[in-house]
Amino acid sequence: MNIKINPKSAVPVYEQVKREIKLAILSGNMKEGDKLISIRELAVRLKINPNTIVKVYYQLEVEGFIASRPGTGYFVSAEAGRAQKEKHELFEQVTDDYITSASDLGYSIEDMITELKNKDDSSEKKNNGGSDDKDR
Amino acid sequence: MIKIDNLTFGYGKKKIFEGFNLEIPDWQTCLVTGINGVGKSTLLRLIAGVLLPDGGNITFGPGMPVDPRFKIGFISDKISLYESLKVSQMIELHMRMYGIKKFDYSLLEHTKIGMHQRVKELSWGHRTIFLLSLVLAIEPEVLLIDEVIHSIDAYLRKVFLEKVIGLISERKITVVMVNLNFHDVENIADRVILLKDGKVAVDSDLDSLKAKVKKVVSSEPLNGLPVILSIPREDCTEYFVYPYDEKAHRPAVKGKVMDLDLTDIVTAFIGGEYV
Repeated sequence: MNIKINPKSAVPVYEQVKREIKLAILSGNMKEGDKLISIRELAVRLKINPNTIVKVYYQLEVEGFIASRPGTGYFVSAEAGRAQKEKHELFEQVTDDYITSASDLGYSIEDMITELKNKDDSSEKKNNGGSDDKDR
Repeated sequence: MIKIDNLTFGYGKKKIFEGFNLEIPDWQTCLVTGINGVGKSTLLRLIAGVLLPDGGNITFGPGMPVDPRFKIGFISDKISLYESLKVSQMIELHMRMYGIKKFDYSLLEHTKIGMHQRVKELSWGHRTIFLLSLVLAIEPEVLLIDEVIHSIDAYLRKVFLEKVIGLISERKITVVMVNLNFHDVENIADRVILLKDGKVAVDSDLDSLKAKVKKVVSSEPLNGLPVILSIPREDCTEYFVYPYDEKAHRPAVKGKVMDLDLTDIVTAFIGGEYV
């Protein structure tokens, strides 16, 4: 797991960590049955309070992303990959972040749409029309 | 748990605390800050039992020995060690004083502190790591850390913090840290306490504090917002607002509202006292 947190952000650290882990699961970087690193190790790595990780893992378990096996730790659960609703929520969050940053720079929604379309065109050219992924 | 009840303390005529109360539950990591001279270090020394209060009580929860000092780890640059002893002799003495059976040398080995070095020959960074090793050996229930972290180099600081976080995770200890600088440590805290005039002026968890303190950059005056500090810049003014209320305040602001990290937040509170 390669998790980054932004200390300047007003988004609580536990939200940031939770979102990063969800992203890792929903994007397929972490698959069903993969073991999450221990609470201690993640706390040490991110230099955050272990209580924060306890809270994150607890919430992810309640939401069905991970499951705990007593004595061994936390694992990505079987239901996790099917969380399409969650996936869409995360997509909305990422989109909101993008819109906020771009409008801070003074761009309108129309500018953003144009820019996104341009990006899409150029990546299509690069991928030589690799549109297989597009219908997902 | 640490319970401070109606604490009074002063140096001669200068009163630092009068009727001071604070309760820190088990397994909490608390960051204490405030301007120079407000009594942060004094508070730690009182909790550590190095200083005795003039009045009031400091008590600890169950699980602490009759003399709590045996389970309080205190790390400060003012701790006196036997300077002319070798590291190995200091460890031996420490083990005898505290009745310690086993000593973990891994931190010392890892940071290349030699057993034959004299204590007075250790660099500040090594001295701090050495102190941490001594403190860990007593298996503390309470760990008190007086601003030592930022006078040591980045690598030793990392070693130090990782050890402390590991300890919080494994042994569920209670930690009180006194800091002026929060780089690296802000997310370790569950709770932030700002002292002012011998009282607790701000007592909050970090997330709520971040939601309530904002910086507004604007070229127009901020009417009706609770500004705790304003800094005029060449082309605009930076206003630090507390408590900030997104719904009530956002519409009135002609300018940019920015999030702050803990260093900025504390700077705003402290700066407000100087200006």
